[in-house]
Amino acid sequence: MIRDTWLFFGYEMRALMRNPVWPLLGLMQPVLYLLLFAPLFAGQAFNGDMGKALDVFAPGMLVMTALFSSFTAGYGTIMELKSGVLERLAVSPASRPSILLGRMLRDTVMLLVQSAVFLVLGFVLGMRIGVVALLLMLLLMVATGLMAAGAAYGLALATKDENAMGSIMQFVMLPLMLLSGALLPMAYGPAWLEKVAWFTPFYHPTEAGRALFAGDFGDFNVLLGFVIMLGLAALTISWSVRGLRRLAG
Amino acid sequence: MIIDARELRKTFTTKSRKGTQTVEAVKEVSLQVDKGQIYGVLGPNGAGKTTTIRMLATLITPDSGTATVAGHNLLKEPGLVRRSLGYVSQAGGVDENVSPRAQITFGARIYGVADVENAVESVLKRLDLVEFADRPARTLSGGQKRRVAIGLGLVHSPPLLFLDEPTTGLDPQNRANLWDRIAELREQGTSVLLSTHYLEEADALCDRLAIVDHGVIVAEGTASELKRQIQGDVISLRLDDLGRGAEVLAPYAKETRVDDDLLRVYVDDGEHTLPSLLRTLEERQLQIKSIAMTSATLDDVFLAKTGRSLRDTGAES
Ligand SMILES: Nc1ncnc2c1ncn2[C@@H]1O[C@H](COP(=O)(O)OP(=O)(O)OP(=O)(O)O)[C@@H](O)[C@H]1O
Ligand SMILES: [Mg+2]
Repeated sequence: MIRDTWLFFGYEMRALMRNPVWPLLGLMQPVLYLLLFAPLFAGQAFNGDMGKALDVFAPGMLVMTALFSSFTAGYGTIMELKSGVLERLAVSPASRPSILLGRMLRDTVMLLVQSAVFLVLGFVLGMRIGVVALLLMLLLMVATGLMAAGAAYGLALATKDENAMGSIMQFVMLPLMLLSGALLPMAYGPAWLEKVAWFTPFYHPTEAGRALFAGDFGDFNVLLGFVIMLGLAALTISWSVRGLRRLAG
Repeated sequence: MIIDARELRKTFTTKSRKGTQTVEAVKEVSLQVDKGQIYGVLGPNGAGKTTTIRMLATLITPDSGTATVAGHNLLKEPGLVRRSLGYVSQAGGVDENVSPRAQITFGARIYGVADVENAVESVLKRLDLVEFADRPARTLSGGQKRRVAIGLGLVHSPPLLFLDEPTTGLDPQNRANLWDRIAELREQGTSVLLSTHYLEEADALCDRLAIVDHGVIVAEGTASELKRQIQGDVISLRLDDLGRGAEVLAPYAKETRVDDDLLRVYVDDGEHTLPSLLRTLEERQLQIKSIAMTSATLDDVFLAKTGRSLRDTGAES
């Protein structure tokens, strides 16, 4: 299974490098947030102190990047379903989980590249974070990304249709996104809203990220963020693998 | 025997707002395919061809029934079955963004082919893919893409190849070209199970075939056996003495009939009967003015078994 995962990962990476335009466009999204939205945020809440603003803003943006970049991978899966590529691979002797794991590994690499670009730009704009915190943050991103990729592949395999997948994703994602506090911390709102947010999944990696950026490794939220994301990742990934097993009905 | 399937069944249940719907896609299909044969599954849209092939290729678990595929039990050893087959789906399975060479190479790696480079080159050559092997597949024509799909199924030289409607949507020239390629497989000893809704394809390419309709095999045999079940061949003769002709030829025929100036002789196997029939006429010094032989088509077979014509079911569109 590891050999197969590695094979699929290698193939997918080479395919990706052959068409580097799309992944490059994907890089643009967090960069745009940083350049066009962060200054507004700094002006509004931190009297224009970009460094302080970014400590709060960057973790949210990173979590959002992890969610979006992985979710869009679901569209590729629908294409691969319709062209029969997945069907062909499912009949091959390759282990079926590897087919998806190889793709998730590719998504993870993409996500790390996107994060790196974001972080470099963040540093230039005055963001500060310690090395250990940075590494933990990246690890949290990977967990969040895997969870989102599992959900995206699972949803693609369950709906087998890009329109259905798109509608469900929007219907579910928008409220979860708003309640995650990625754009504006939930603490800015009324207490009841924050209580509701606590029960939504993306609130936790965002809070964990903010704690890491603040240097509070001992904060319970850090542990909670990791546990919840890793747990959900295990669930969504096994869901997606089940979907692949039932590929043809 | 490379495939021995017994009473395969598959029912799909789909839930929608209008309630649950069940479709008996395959009701009871038994198939025996010998090694080295090209076996055709002929049937109209929705007959259950794809479902049958998917079950035999381990993609769908049958509700009941058993099968041995390439010497392995389909239900107990799906992994070993997968190693022994190539599968080209109706959709093709070609990765649009990747060149034929790259994806066929990767296919060879997945199957653990020993000499990858050699295997890929030989497939590219055999299927005439060399010329555009390094272009992204999305730039290829329909016929070229179909050959890439078949290359993907063949790169590990499987003993058994499944082809689900390999020529649907191709123009007659491309189709004939692909038939030649598939026929070459027989010479190399590869067994092929293909589905089609083209009568001509089943007739021209397949050693044996099963005609399916609504998930049931309605007829099975070689194309000529099937046609003979209907009426065999008809030899129509114009002779100087029809009455005596009918008498003389009676031993060869299932039935003879005289219509106006035409003598119709119904025989089991026209191709083999014709030479001796001609000899007899010559010996009895009967003068032949004209002669024609026509045979029952597979469409006649389908019509006789289902009461519908294959050509009327939208299959040819
Ligand atoms: N996954 C599925 N879920 C529900 N119904 C299905 C599924 N797959 C096939 N069917 C139904 O089963 C029947 C047989 O379908 P199948 O695809 O095997 O036909 P086919 O002979 O391959 O037809 P075609 O020539 O159009 O490819 C059809 O009525 C189809 O709607
Ligand atoms: Mg079909």
